[in-house]
Amino acid sequence: MSQADRKRGNNEPVDTSKTIAFSINGVPCTAYKGESVIQAAQRAGMDIPHFCWHHDLSVPGNCRICMVEVEQDKGDPWFDIGCNMPVTEGMRVLTESDTVKKLRRETMQFITLNHPVDCGICNKAGECILQDYHYEHNGKASMSIDRKNHATKFFPLSDRIMLDNERCIMCTRCVRFTHEVSESHALAAVYRGDHSLIRPAEDANFNDDAYSDNVIDICPVGALLSRENLDHARVWYTKATPSVCPGCSRGCSIDIWHRKPEWALKALDPQLNSRIERVTPHENPAVNGPWICNKARDLATIFERPRATQAMVQGTPVELDEAIARAAGFVQNARRVVALVSSWGSNEELEAFAAAFAPRLGGAVTAYAKADHVPQSGEVVEDHLLIKADKNPNLTAATARFPLAPADLAAALAGADVVLVWGEGVAQASLPAGVTVIRLDGYAQEHNASAHVFIPLSIQTERSGHYTNFEGTVTPFEACFAPKAPVAHAAELFPRLAGTVQLAGAGA
Amino acid sequence: MTAPVTEPVLSGRKFFMNHEVTPTSHTLADYQARGGYQALAKVLKGGVAPADVIKEVSTAGLLGHGGAAFPAGRKWGVIRPDDGEPHYVCMNADEGEPGTFKDRWLLEQVPHMAVEGLILASYAIGGRHAFIYIRGEFDLPFHRIQGAVDEAYAAGLLGKNILGSDYSLDVVVYRGAGSYVCGEASAMLASLEGKKGWPRNRPPRLTVKGLYQKPTVVNNVETLANVPVILSLGAEEFRKTGTPKSPGTQMISISGHVNRPGVYEVEYGYSWEKFIYEDCGGIQGGRGLKCIIPGGVSTKILDADQIKGVTLDHNAAVAAGSQLGSGGMIAIAEGTCMVRLARVIQRFYHHESCGQCTPCREGMGWMERVLDRIVRGEGRPDDIDRLYHISNANDGTTICSLGDSAGYACTAILDHYREEFEYFIKNGRSMMDGQLAVEDPFAGAVPTPLRGMAGAAV
Repeated sequence: MSQADRKRGNNEPVDTSKTIAFSINGVPCTAYKGESVIQAAQRAGMDIPHFCWHHDLSVPGNCRICMVEVEQDKGDPWFDIGCNMPVTEGMRVLTESDTVKKLRRETMQFITLNHPVDCGICNKAGECILQDYHYEHNGKASMSIDRKNHATKFFPLSDRIMLDNERCIMCTRCVRFTHEVSESHALAAVYRGDHSLIRPAEDANFNDDAYSDNVIDICPVGALLSRENLDHARVWYTKATPSVCPGCSRGCSIDIWHRKPEWALKALDPQLNSRIERVTPHENPAVNGPWICNKARDLATIFERPRATQAMVQGTPVELDEAIARAAGFVQNARRVVALVSSWGSNEELEAFAAAFAPRLGGAVTAYAKADHVPQSGEVVEDHLLIKADKNPNLTAATARFPLAPADLAAALAGADVVLVWGEGVAQASLPAGVTVIRLDGYAQEHNASAHVFIPLSIQTERSGHYTNFEGTVTPFEACFAPKAPVAHAAELFPRLAGTVQLAGAGA
Repeated sequence: MTAPVTEPVLSGRKFFMNHEVTPTSHTLADYQARGGYQALAKVLKGGVAPADVIKEVSTAGLLGHGGAAFPAGRKWGVIRPDDGEPHYVCMNADEGEPGTFKDRWLLEQVPHMAVEGLILASYAIGGRHAFIYIRGEFDLPFHRIQGAVDEAYAAGLLGKNILGSDYSLDVVVYRGAGSYVCGEASAMLASLEGKKGWPRNRPPRLTVKGLYQKPTVVNNVETLANVPVILSLGAEEFRKTGTPKSPGTQMISISGHVNRPGVYEVEYGYSWEKFIYEDCGGIQGGRGLKCIIPGGVSTKILDADQIKGVTLDHNAAVAAGSQLGSGGMIAIAEGTCMVRLARVIQRFYHHESCGQCTPCREGMGWMERVLDRIVRGEGRPDDIDRLYHISNANDGTTICSLGDSAGYACTAILDHYREEFEYFIKNGRSMMDGQLAVEDPFAGAVPTPLRGMAGAAV
């Protein structure tokens, strides 16, 4: 039994080698040994409503909405919650019987009793499970004519997360997350009955939890809200583009949410149309499961840094094509070119680089893979869950093709007359004087003007590709926005620099 | 076993209240003088196997005294002493059901019987550690049971190699923090583990995964205190007490409008009316009995007619439409306003609902708000239906049985006294206004100083 299984207490480990035959609503299904009814139903494509149950957390069984009926050979049917009901051989489960529907309706009445139903101003509206279930399973006004309980609104759980206790339905997903996944033990349920509140635990600081923002996603209602993204955009105006977090070599699958083109703002700042509204995990069992760290949430701080939009030759703005032609001239006529290859390039770009320079690699051209980003001060370097010390998305693929740049860069550059710097992480001071420097980068940096030739590149959100994570798992990402200014795509640029356009077949 | 006894034996036999209560009667010396710890000696020195202890308790038909009347022997029998895992016995001394204070008497006056029972139960299921979870508000009972445990350690009745045998047991007395729901076995274990006192879903049962995920038996104080009685008398002799289906005695704590409230030990099968009108001296001020809460407020209320001819045992109480529950009886005199009573009870459930599962967390507060409104004179005609609706939606949908039964109390009162609610809703005042005039039986009495306070002899 794994550490996680042990913590989950009630959960039996699932044994996929043994199957159990049973039926749901008369449809024959198979479950693995140790699976609960809700898990087996979900694999069979039938969703039993649930609030508190989460497939990666323990089973608390407190929301009571997943109540199902089990037909008995003799006697009254048996009702219990599907999330905590082990599947037994020949069990006949009913999820849509009249009694089950009635129980769901009653539970929805209870859950919405003290919920403010302020969907109109709630950030979760549109992707709220409570909202969906209300229409699906209840759809009626509350039976209560009494006042609702009031509780704290706008409670700052941490610098990143705000809690609205009135909307909270006490499913305790967030509490269990901090105990079972992030292990910060930062949240707790305090008080009793309908005065129960989620609160920070006394001896822990939720700010120290590098995974804290996951509780926003797993909150089935709008109780936990991101303070950063609060009121940024209604979810139905935004769409998710699958992507990969470049924050470390784990390469977590993420969804980048941005405004739908058809809902583009015309009156306000057009920059808002290509803004990253938020980042959420894109469930990927092979890499990150359903979680991502807070760095991934803050990808805007990486991708929305000031962009380099202007090609330059010795600090003088020129047309992109002219800059490329000048750079190609330097590269092709050099006696010895040293290229520092970006570990933020996609597999396709690395392949394009290798293919473009293949005829001269090992000869006049020497290529080194380099780490564009190193751990910043205050950043979690490495931990038990997801975060890796290598803060680049594709160093694995880069070092598979090129040797890693030595720590002593000066020695590696000795004798070179052209240095091609692709990406970040190489300060101007570390390059020998007198050498011709060609820089390719997506972001505006002071040293861009010091290079002999500077060519602006597209960034991850403007192109698609694949990254290979530290375990060798390849994950695709897609383009979210079109580039705002004429910038080069690295994969198309390299054949032109190397003069192998015809060989690579890429268009000029 | 002899042929089943058909007539209830009303010998008035007492197991716990069979000695004079003196300032030292709770001590080890006095208990041993009364024959205490001889059952333990018989088992440990006489080489009685653990399975035989379970068999004896099963044969005796000992029922749990915590409220659900689950056969103790069957609960113990689930545990396999030789499965290589640690097993625990927890004594549930978190007596929180309103109206119940019989365990308090046991803990104060015969703590060693409970400790002896705990040792025997642990021996029976192969436990090396046992716990006593005592209600935080209990002060003297805590000092008495802790004192009993300390005395037992000093006398070699606890610790390593008890009475020179191979069996060792350590007992920890743990004080709760004052939560009703921690009287529920799984919530109690969660509290013992240092977690929030929230009940746990079954399956798995506690006898499969209990304290620290190990097989655990949770028994009430009175249940465990019965064990040495059974083992010293023998199962057959024990069964001669009480009725065939409810053998033994029941500690009953009665409060409310009776002339002599207090703790009584009655044999199962004793006449209910005789108990109320003779043992407890009838109703204050010579008034009639309106109704009775048989075993803590979670059990359904019975009116005066329903207890006529009924005996005090589990089967008879169930046949009458309620349960004996935890033995916390509350007598209610004619003239009591049942609407206000329901509200007081509901306030308790609202206050003590643990807040884990939805129906009880939301439903109890809702019911209290509805009843509050009725008592304020703002009731609506559909409020009675609303109360039934909430209680029905709560029934059978909660994690623990306390949540299930939390709505019964109000609806049982509604079943019997619907007209009082209708009157209150229609007229905005109680049907019973000014009719209840019972004098306080303790008026003018000098309050006894709190015993067991720091510095006092306990």
